[in-house]
Amino acid sequence: MRRTIVLGSALLVLVALTTAAPANAQTKDDTIVYAIQSDVPNWDPPNSVLRESIILGYHVFDHLAARDLKTGKVGPSLATSWRALDDTTWEVKLRQGVRFHDGTPFTAKDVKASFDRVLDPEKKLTARGNHAKIKSVEVVDDHTVRFKTDGPYPVFVERLTALVMQSEKQIKDKGHEYMQENPVGTGPYKLVRWNKKQEHLLVRNDDYWGPKPAFKYVRIRIIPEQATQIAELISGGVDIIKAVPPDQMDVIDKSGQARTATSPILRTAMIQLDQAGRAGKNPFQDKRVRLAANLAPDIDSIIKHVLNGLGDRVATTVNPMAFGFDPTLKPYKQDQAAAKKLLAEAGYPNGFEVGFLQGPPVVEPAVNQTSEAISSDLAKVGIRTKKRYLGEVGPLTNLVRDNKAEPMFEWSWGYYSIFDADAIFYDVMTCNQPYSYYCNKQFDDLVIQGRSTLDAKKRQEIYAKAQKLAYDDAAYLFKWGLRGVWGISNRVNYEAPRDEVDRMFLVTPRKN
Amino acid sequence: MRTYVIRQLAQLVVVVVGISMLSFAILHVLGDPVLLLLPQNAGKEEFERYHKLLGLDKSMPVQYWKFASQAIQGDFGKSWYSDTPAFRLVLERMPPTIYLTSCGLVVALIIALPLGFIAALRRHSVVDNACTAVAVAGQAMPIFWLGIMLIIIFAVRLKLLPASGYGTWQHFLMPSFTLGAFLAPLTMRLVRSGVIEIMNTDYIRTARAKGFAERQVVGKHAFRNACIPVITVLGLQFGQLLGGAIVTETVFAWPGVATLTVESIRNQDFPVVQCAVILLALIIVSVNFLVDMLVGFIDPRIRVAA
Repeated sequence: MRRTIVLGSALLVLVALTTAAPANAQTKDDTIVYAIQSDVPNWDPPNSVLRESIILGYHVFDHLAARDLKTGKVGPSLATSWRALDDTTWEVKLRQGVRFHDGTPFTAKDVKASFDRVLDPEKKLTARGNHAKIKSVEVVDDHTVRFKTDGPYPVFVERLTALVMQSEKQIKDKGHEYMQENPVGTGPYKLVRWNKKQEHLLVRNDDYWGPKPAFKYVRIRIIPEQATQIAELISGGVDIIKAVPPDQMDVIDKSGQARTATSPILRTAMIQLDQAGRAGKNPFQDKRVRLAANLAPDIDSIIKHVLNGLGDRVATTVNPMAFGFDPTLKPYKQDQAAAKKLLAEAGYPNGFEVGFLQGPPVVEPAVNQTSEAISSDLAKVGIRTKKRYLGEVGPLTNLVRDNKAEPMFEWSWGYYSIFDADAIFYDVMTCNQPYSYYCNKQFDDLVIQGRSTLDAKKRQEIYAKAQKLAYDDAAYLFKWGLRGVWGISNRVNYEAPRDEVDRMFLVTPRKN
Repeated sequence: MRTYVIRQLAQLVVVVVGISMLSFAILHVLGDPVLLLLPQNAGKEEFERYHKLLGLDKSMPVQYWKFASQAIQGDFGKSWYSDTPAFRLVLERMPPTIYLTSCGLVVALIIALPLGFIAALRRHSVVDNACTAVAVAGQAMPIFWLGIMLIIIFAVRLKLLPASGYGTWQHFLMPSFTLGAFLAPLTMRLVRSGVIEIMNTDYIRTARAKGFAERQVVGKHAFRNACIPVITVLGLQFGQLLGGAIVTETVFAWPGVATLTVESIRNQDFPVVQCAVILLALIIVSVNFLVDMLVGFIDPRIRVAA
């Protein structure tokens, strides 16, 4: 019996070893290793909503436009220039001499095919909604494309950074199924192999039109557990990790092997107050109560002490990096006496009890702790919160959408990487949007005006007005813009990206 | 024997159908999967279009019928996330989990068998007490914590082993030990109590009386009989072992079917969850079936009774 067990186990180990992955040809010196928490569903970026898909997409594909991480502005990539011919027509000039990984030249036909593919309602590409304002794409010549939009589309150029350019030949000849696992782009790296849920191996595209990446290979490892990611970083198994929890920064910084870096990211956190009464009648339908809620907590000290400074205070929901942000509007200052007075005026001299829906710290670091701090400040003026906790983000989002949230709930918004006030105003603050518990006709009018013109100066003015309105009306309990934390091995140079898109082609070896 | 096998197989069918219905129902009350598939700012038309595409606009019995009639032909549908057949996804992830659970089982036996025997033969000695203490500690130790501790010691501090991942034999050591340590305490206690009971039986006294060396008494007569409860319980514990594999796989970034299942539940990727749950149920039921057979093989009395 014992012999069989020993023999059997020996056999199993043998099988395991022989089926294991072959030894890697690359060496540590020419390979950069990047870790992500969950694997991508496919190598077809328009067919996924995960940030990881966007990040991987940047390595193998190019976009028509790309963000300059230094200035924060959108600049040329596969497109060299663009201009609006009229309110609903854009003309885009394309870069010449670019080739796909399979050798075919990149031309206007590929741009049209890529957009037509994502816009086709028969195909179930998840990114379709992001580009639905585009009515048609026209090939003018090999290197000129014209876009017709459905009404003025001020974030057109921003959105050019959101769709990868795929090859017309692949779309036509190989088709959707094939493209899920076989990416053919124009990007700085090519996919060598993908071991699902395990790792991706990329090799440098030596014919790349842009600057040559320093590392020949990129390994992207899937490591679900954060503690394991940090252990790998410190033990040298991984070079770059993202979304480090603030309380783990010390561990990395003191390891001598790696360091942390932070960057503001395009996500604003808030506590929505049910002004619209979507979850039923509640005290926050009175402006004075919302004002009191904004005056009660000491947000600055919460950022400093609870978040370790990893937040940028904002006056409304607009992120400092978004177009239209008005820096002259100053956030509310804590004033508990005034808050108490406002509550008394509103008919709550002894305060009231109210439901507060909370979730896990998936997108917002330390959200449990900060909500706890805010709640205790609110209690001091008489707003006693009754916590209702949900452990998963999906069901929480469901409740919000189905009018079943509490009068107060945690919320944050990532703008879908569109650096523009419209990207949060429209989705999170206008009447009847699924995730907006605020409804104000006057505010809606301003948002509509803002998206109906291409004139940047006029838009800036409109958004300043909208921010003032949201601020005066204390639409929500305003919090802060988030900061991301990255862990970076001491053997490389890398700067935390403000758009949360890690680019391994920008990593360089660190000289000692 | 034949009726026994037929009865077992019939049971298997009932269990699998029941489990598929149950998981189907649970998945459907979890909420709208499309919400997680589409960007948060997608409009109403997008949602409706997607419901239609995935067949979620139909009533639940209709959906189940469609699923079941295809699943019977081996077609579990395509993953809603990756557009690849669910069956292929699950099958691809199966080997790492099978290797991991097998190695974990072997580690558990390597620890539990000798220690259990020694503890039983030297009852109430220092060795026995030490083994009991280790077993209690082991049972109380969260598998997650043990995994992380091993990583910190062997990967971060000593730099002897890779912290996580899959591929070489070094990658097998820490996960196997973690999972083995999870199963070993219970197994050891079982071996110990089994051996103690057997050492007091008449045939052991007879064997001793016949003048067999103690080694032969223990190795031949006691061992085989002590194995029976251990094998039975290990079979029943197989589901637990898969549960432990979920945590182990997560900690060590092991590309197995356990994490795939958890991730798919989180994504509400119905086809993959259904396929994985049914295949895992099949495996657990078959393992129990095999255990019954094996016990019957070792102990003829059970064969006769069945």
